[in-house]
Amino acid sequence: MTIATARRRHALDLDDFTPEEIEEILDTAESMKEVLSREIKQVPTLRGRTVVNMFYEESTRTRISFELAARALSANVVSFTARGSSVEKGESLIDTVRTLQALGADMVVIRHNQSGAPHLVARHFAGGVINAGDGRHAHPTQALLDLLTIREHLGQIRGLKVVIVGDILHSRVARSNLWGLTRLGAEVTLCAPPTLLGPAAYWTATWPQVKISYKVDEAIAGADVVMALRLQKERMQAGLLPSLREYSRAYAITPERLARLGEKTLIMHPGPMNEGVEIWPEVVTAPNTVIDEQVTNGVAVRMALLYRLAG
Amino acid sequence: MRYLICNGSIIDPARRVATVGDVWVADGVVEQLVDLTDLHAAPEPVGDEVTVINARGCVIAPGFTDLHAHLREPGDEHKETLASGGLAAAMGGFTTVCAMPSTKPALDNAALVRHVRAIAERDSSVRIEVIGALTKGREGHGLADLMELAEAGCIAFGDGGRPVSDAALMANALSYASVLGLPVMTYCEDLRLTAGWAMHEGVISTRLGLAGFPKAAEESFIARDIALAEAAGAHLHICQVSTAGGVALIRSAKARGVRVTAEVTPHHLTLTDRWVMGNLVPHDTTMITQTARRGRRSKTHPELGLPSWLDPSLLPPYDPSTRVAPPLRTDEDVEALIEGLRDGTIDAIATGHAPHALVDKECEYALAAPGISGLETTLALVLTLVHRGEMDLVNMIAKLTEGPAQVLGRSPSTLHPGARADLVIFNPDEYWTVDTSKFASKGRNNPLHGQRLKGQVMLTMAAGKIAYRRENFGHGGGHSHPTASRLEGILPSDS
Repeated sequence: MTIATARRRHALDLDDFTPEEIEEILDTAESMKEVLSREIKQVPTLRGRTVVNMFYEESTRTRISFELAARALSANVVSFTARGSSVEKGESLIDTVRTLQALGADMVVIRHNQSGAPHLVARHFAGGVINAGDGRHAHPTQALLDLLTIREHLGQIRGLKVVIVGDILHSRVARSNLWGLTRLGAEVTLCAPPTLLGPAAYWTATWPQVKISYKVDEAIAGADVVMALRLQKERMQAGLLPSLREYSRAYAITPERLARLGEKTLIMHPGPMNEGVEIWPEVVTAPNTVIDEQVTNGVAVRMALLYRLAG
Repeated sequence: MRYLICNGSIIDPARRVATVGDVWVADGVVEQLVDLTDLHAAPEPVGDEVTVINARGCVIAPGFTDLHAHLREPGDEHKETLASGGLAAAMGGFTTVCAMPSTKPALDNAALVRHVRAIAERDSSVRIEVIGALTKGREGHGLADLMELAEAGCIAFGDGGRPVSDAALMANALSYASVLGLPVMTYCEDLRLTAGWAMHEGVISTRLGLAGFPKAAEESFIARDIALAEAAGAHLHICQVSTAGGVALIRSAKARGVRVTAEVTPHHLTLTDRWVMGNLVPHDTTMITQTARRGRRSKTHPELGLPSWLDPSLLPPYDPSTRVAPPLRTDEDVEALIEGLRDGTIDAIATGHAPHALVDKECEYALAAPGISGLETTLALVLTLVHRGEMDLVNMIAKLTEGPAQVLGRSPSTLHPGARADLVIFNPDEYWTVDTSKFASKGRNNPLHGQRLKGQVMLTMAAGKIAYRRENFGHGGGHSHPTASRLEGILPSDS
């Protein structure tokens, strides 16, 4: 296992990770995968530490993944959702964090529908904060697990052509992947209808290497990795799209598109999926689709991050 | 009470005066001005009954007028009162403040306006004028009793921070107000384009994943209101223009003779959406291009070595103090606003003072109440433009005195003998560090907390009475001959 060189307190996004640090975390995650393959999937690394999962937004896989990761490291884990907590009585986020501090939490994991909420928590909490997804801003552990999955299959990230297709504008997964992928030297293309992307310059000013495309067939030609994003049905109601049928025809990863890509192209999706909207059921079960591996790697990556933040 | 304010640099834009001299004040009015560059002027003997204020190194100017402040009384006295807002104004060099009707209830009837004016008279040493609501309850559905509001002493109409979305109602409001001779102040935001907005829509909002307030939401509304005002022949005043496109629309409307005036806030003139990122490190390449852009526009701060003179990295990312409506825009907009101020497209600098309680601001960014408590940092902020050489001091003072007076259709405040002694003394070279906990305003929401600024108000006199005086300012030194001005290079060379 690699020894961390600098002590990191929070993981709020990948924007402050160096390429070396990302690689170190991925290396650590590979060691963690070994732990998870044992009969007894637990090491005593975080024994006696308390991790609180604050989930202000519905989530199945991320919450369970964080819980399993913390348990595999022998931490005490408490999870709460906004429903049934004092949040429903009107308690502010800052007050909740202060309370958790007073209760002795060492680390918090936060999922929130407001972009920037983890930064607010980090300002009022003495321990470590891990962002488990905030609004449309960031989802750093998702990006790390995506990087781990790609690295496992394709060896290295540098030089790979990665295409992210779907509702980029509202996607925290896209943003964190942009940081991670570009830091490690991938060529990233964002592909979406203009209403789900916005002007190209909004993206290229921060990520100059990124390419923008509005046509999925042009974008994915020759791609090493195609990542489809979930389309929220609300986007239809907000008038951003004419119809799901048209969206699906123009942007979904269909069996026809899969056939044109060939067998070496990885197909990814952060989940939860709308099968038949952004990705076809036949594609989900294709041999080069690695969606289940992404989920498995999520636990290992989160273990690696918890370990690194615990110092 | 008789005062002699001596040795200051007198700048009176309305009378095109910029000189070194003395100002005598007696019985609430300016008694006389002694120009010390006039070699024939014989210094008047100073008797014991005269209070001497030594303003060496300072500028003496007419008191500032603020067209746009939310003073919160009645209804939100925990955010601000007429007393605390009045004192904050005095600390900022303002002697006249126009209070927006954004109170609870809204100032949409004559009785309430008279009530507020009476409290202001009692509690504030600076003059507080009232802007009457344009629509009932500021709800944008029906006209307020504009004629009665005018009779009760309102100096303008506006819904203060809320747009009148109904174009037909706005047309009627402009038509109705035009015969009352009062300006209609419009806040320009197409609410359909800004649903859920957190900040300016652009590069930074995309990076931070925050919903945007696009420029078009402001500009399309400005264009609409200009067309309506042109048709009605009414006086339209655009509040808080924040975009380059908005400036261009106002410029072309003025050129074809539309009765349109405009104001800009100090924060829109100096800060950008970059501030919402706080201490987040811009992507390497972004940083290089931004520095290059700033370098082209401005000189590096001589002491701080900062390219922009103001340092956004003192703030954490997503700091709610940077959330304001309209939002902080981009470098290009800032440049256009400064140009608009210089060429007369923009008539006045208005603070947009919007104090909030801590609970309204200490929360998730998009949920924080928009607004900056700005009365006390306005002068120092706009002086950064003077220090950077983007605008001369006389013109800048005009935008705080003559400009707003013209918007209100009044004769400008002046230091002319016989005029009401509303004046400010400030030291343009004095450094100070903004500490919001020392604000007179109850609103501590200001993104400049901790910034080192250059230029400070020393004394504010309202109707001949000292409304604010910085500790120990003006004592000692006595009346003496003028010394070399420290303003060399700031004052125009012909002064």
